[in-house]
Amino acid sequence: MIFSTILFLFRFLPITLGLYYLSPPKLKNFSLFICSLVFYSWGEVRFFPIMLVLILINYICGLCMEKFDQSPKARKVFLILSIVGSLSMLLVFKYTNFIVDTINAISGLGLPHLEGVSVLPLGISFYTFQTMSYSIDVYRREVETEHNIIDFGAYVVMFPQLIAGPIVKYRDVSEQLHVYKNRYNLKQIEDGIALFIFGLAKKVLLADTISALWHDIIGNYDSTGITSMGSVGLANASSGLVWLGLIAYSFQLYFDFSGYSMMGIGMGKMLGFDFPDNFNLPYIANSITDFWRRWHMTLSGWFREYVYIPLGGNRRGLKRQIFNMFVVWCLTGIWHGANWNFILWGLYYFILLAVEKIFLLKYLKNSKVWCHIYTLFFVLIGWALFVGNEQGVGLSLLFQKMFNFSGGVSPIYFLRNYGVLLVVSTLCCTPVPQKLWDGIKKNTFLKIATLGLLFILSVAYIVGSSNSPFLYFNF
Amino acid sequence: MKKSPNILQKLKSAPLAICFFAFLFAFMILDMSWPKRERSELENRTLEQIPDFSWTSLFKNEWTKKYDSYVKDQVVFRDQWIDLRGRVEYLQAKTENNEIIFGNSPNGTMMFTKFYSLGKNESTYLANAKAVEQFAQRHSGKVSFLLSPSASVVYKDNLPIGVPLADENSYLDEIFSITQSSAQNIDLRQVFDQHKDEYIFYRTDHHWTTYGAYLAYEEFCRLQGLTPFDLSAHQAVEIPDFYGTSYSRSRLWNTVPDVLTYYPLDNPMTIEVTGELKDTSSFNGDIYNTSALTTRDKYSAFLWGNNGYSTIEGNGTGSILVVKDSYGNSFAPFLTANYEKIGIIDLRYWPSNLEELAEEYDHILILHNFQSFYQDNGIRKLNLNINN
Repeated sequence: MIFSTILFLFRFLPITLGLYYLSPPKLKNFSLFICSLVFYSWGEVRFFPIMLVLILINYICGLCMEKFDQSPKARKVFLILSIVGSLSMLLVFKYTNFIVDTINAISGLGLPHLEGVSVLPLGISFYTFQTMSYSIDVYRREVETEHNIIDFGAYVVMFPQLIAGPIVKYRDVSEQLHVYKNRYNLKQIEDGIALFIFGLAKKVLLADTISALWHDIIGNYDSTGITSMGSVGLANASSGLVWLGLIAYSFQLYFDFSGYSMMGIGMGKMLGFDFPDNFNLPYIANSITDFWRRWHMTLSGWFREYVYIPLGGNRRGLKRQIFNMFVVWCLTGIWHGANWNFILWGLYYFILLAVEKIFLLKYLKNSKVWCHIYTLFFVLIGWALFVGNEQGVGLSLLFQKMFNFSGGVSPIYFLRNYGVLLVVSTLCCTPVPQKLWDGIKKNTFLKIATLGLLFILSVAYIVGSSNSPFLYFNF
Repeated sequence: MKKSPNILQKLKSAPLAICFFAFLFAFMILDMSWPKRERSELENRTLEQIPDFSWTSLFKNEWTKKYDSYVKDQVVFRDQWIDLRGRVEYLQAKTENNEIIFGNSPNGTMMFTKFYSLGKNESTYLANAKAVEQFAQRHSGKVSFLLSPSASVVYKDNLPIGVPLADENSYLDEIFSITQSSAQNIDLRQVFDQHKDEYIFYRTDHHWTTYGAYLAYEEFCRLQGLTPFDLSAHQAVEIPDFYGTSYSRSRLWNTVPDVLTYYPLDNPMTIEVTGELKDTSSFNGDIYNTSALTTRDKYSAFLWGNNGYSTIEGNGTGSILVVKDSYGNSFAPFLTANYEKIGIIDLRYWPSNLEELAEEYDHILILHNFQSFYQDNGIRKLNLNINN
């Protein structure tokens, strides 16, 4: 199930919140657990057991680590067992066929693809990282072992952050999970509602609409191929249009992802949990280093804490630090998808960050304008690498279009058609909306009116996007 | 601590939470209890009904998927939500919505189909052209091929500046160059250009008007040496408030509706093989389904929509078989002036090739609009089970 649907907004959400609020304190986690399982299983019923197995493995390993408290060896064995459990799920579902393809390409063997993993279990990249954070923290004695499997299950499969983060570490919410009475207050719920509506508007009003510009270029596809005649084709686009399309794609990616995170954080608050922030206006960053402090913060935080620092971080000299960064960025790349272009994308950021670390950062600090232009330029190129394997793109064609200036379909019509949306999108990447909101929310009426309007418009766009009249067979 | 007054007081201090939850629950209850519709007239399609539950369909992910579309299709105030979206798009000064491009014209917004150059099935139109060419070869001397250009070719000056529509002219040239060896080509670009100040395409629909069809028919008569249907001898009936399919897609709030014209004729029609008209109980043997004129989908009045094979008794001599898409529906009535028997084939609802049927007719007219000819795989059926 995804958030931006009528089914979620006007069936799942009210029913779940109703059950949750009405449940007696002791049963709140139970109702959350059950509702989240429904949410998780809705799209792919057959992945239901996978979630249960994952919960069980980590739960039992946690208990065992506590049981064999005196034996460092046993504790290590159970830690490894639980990590292998989580990682192998991720590996099997996400990477098997990529690895098979790679082996085939190198060796010339014709190994067959693994059947049945063409669809990823919903949110597997996120919840496997969450279960690992639990086991590692238990091993490090940074959190208590969870004894109640319902409470633990509720943490792992909790629907607000299941699909697209933020990646919530167990210790971020463990305390709240065991507060049964007065877990939430009205102020927190109201903050959550506001965040949820803003996130929904970001996703539906901005991300989904600006993405049309990118798809005007590369085409709209489903499993059968191109679905409409409304695209010019990347090969026919001029360099100017390709850059414009890439800008639109960058907007889409940010609004989509941060919108989803915001909805997640908002619903978390409605349930009484404070999830960590995930995005902090990444496109106003003044260096790549800064960008990664603002983009998908919970993922960078996870890698820093569970990979980078254990490898020695910056405490073992510059050379070792650069090596550690290399490892982290290879992993970050591959985390985003099982494809070489994502690894390339990770390495690209490794190089940029290493260069900044070694010398560039101190020059950037002295500039006011250039540092932003520099950052946005390299972030854009990063997204070009990122989108390179999408259907209708092709990495080499895309870069050829970007840097080998050529004519073709000009961007003028698209600037005209999407002009207002582009301006609004740009504004929404700056602190302006937050400042406006800080003013508006002082007045209760204005606050409700603003949120109400955004919510109504979002619903209109959700329903409207499914308007596909049947043209008695087109003609 | 006393509980109940406390909660009420607290709630008073949280108007946003009250509004939000009230809206969420009220909407849910309203939505669930609102009467469900069989079909949407505006969208011209049947809507998903509540799926029957079974464990098998659940495990196949079919039930949840159907339930998704059921909730989406039956959402309360669906038409109004879509209209609201259309208005907001308009406020953003967009020149298109939902694959419809807005052009200007003195009489209101002229809607064009968004047809860019990245094609699906890019070889389909060539295969179709080949099929026509080979068919015409097998039935040498009696095949005419009429391919109507899109409104955007005729009214290119009315399009928004710089809109990157595909170069339809070069496609038309390519298709005609393939078919010219064996078929009589009827290229309407010049005729339409001369009459472009007249009402030849609907502004809110993807079809030509009855007058546009007449111009095409006139051109066909000129090439065939026939005397055309005399418009002045017939009473035209004008049906106002026609909101066509382009309107349904774009839902532009300030759309000026079209006027649909038809010439009542008492020539009897028989539907031999049905297509869109599944329920023939209402069929009364007329050329026009006048009851459709009171609905939104007014164009389907012509020939009762697209059906597999129909015949009309005309007032002329000889016979003609029209192999057509829906552009042929408003064209065919004029042929009653020239032929004794008019056969109408829609290949999408016809199961086999036309070899046998073609023998029964003196002349064959293949009539399509460019956009359907470009994409429709049905035309290849002309060659079905034939070894070339």
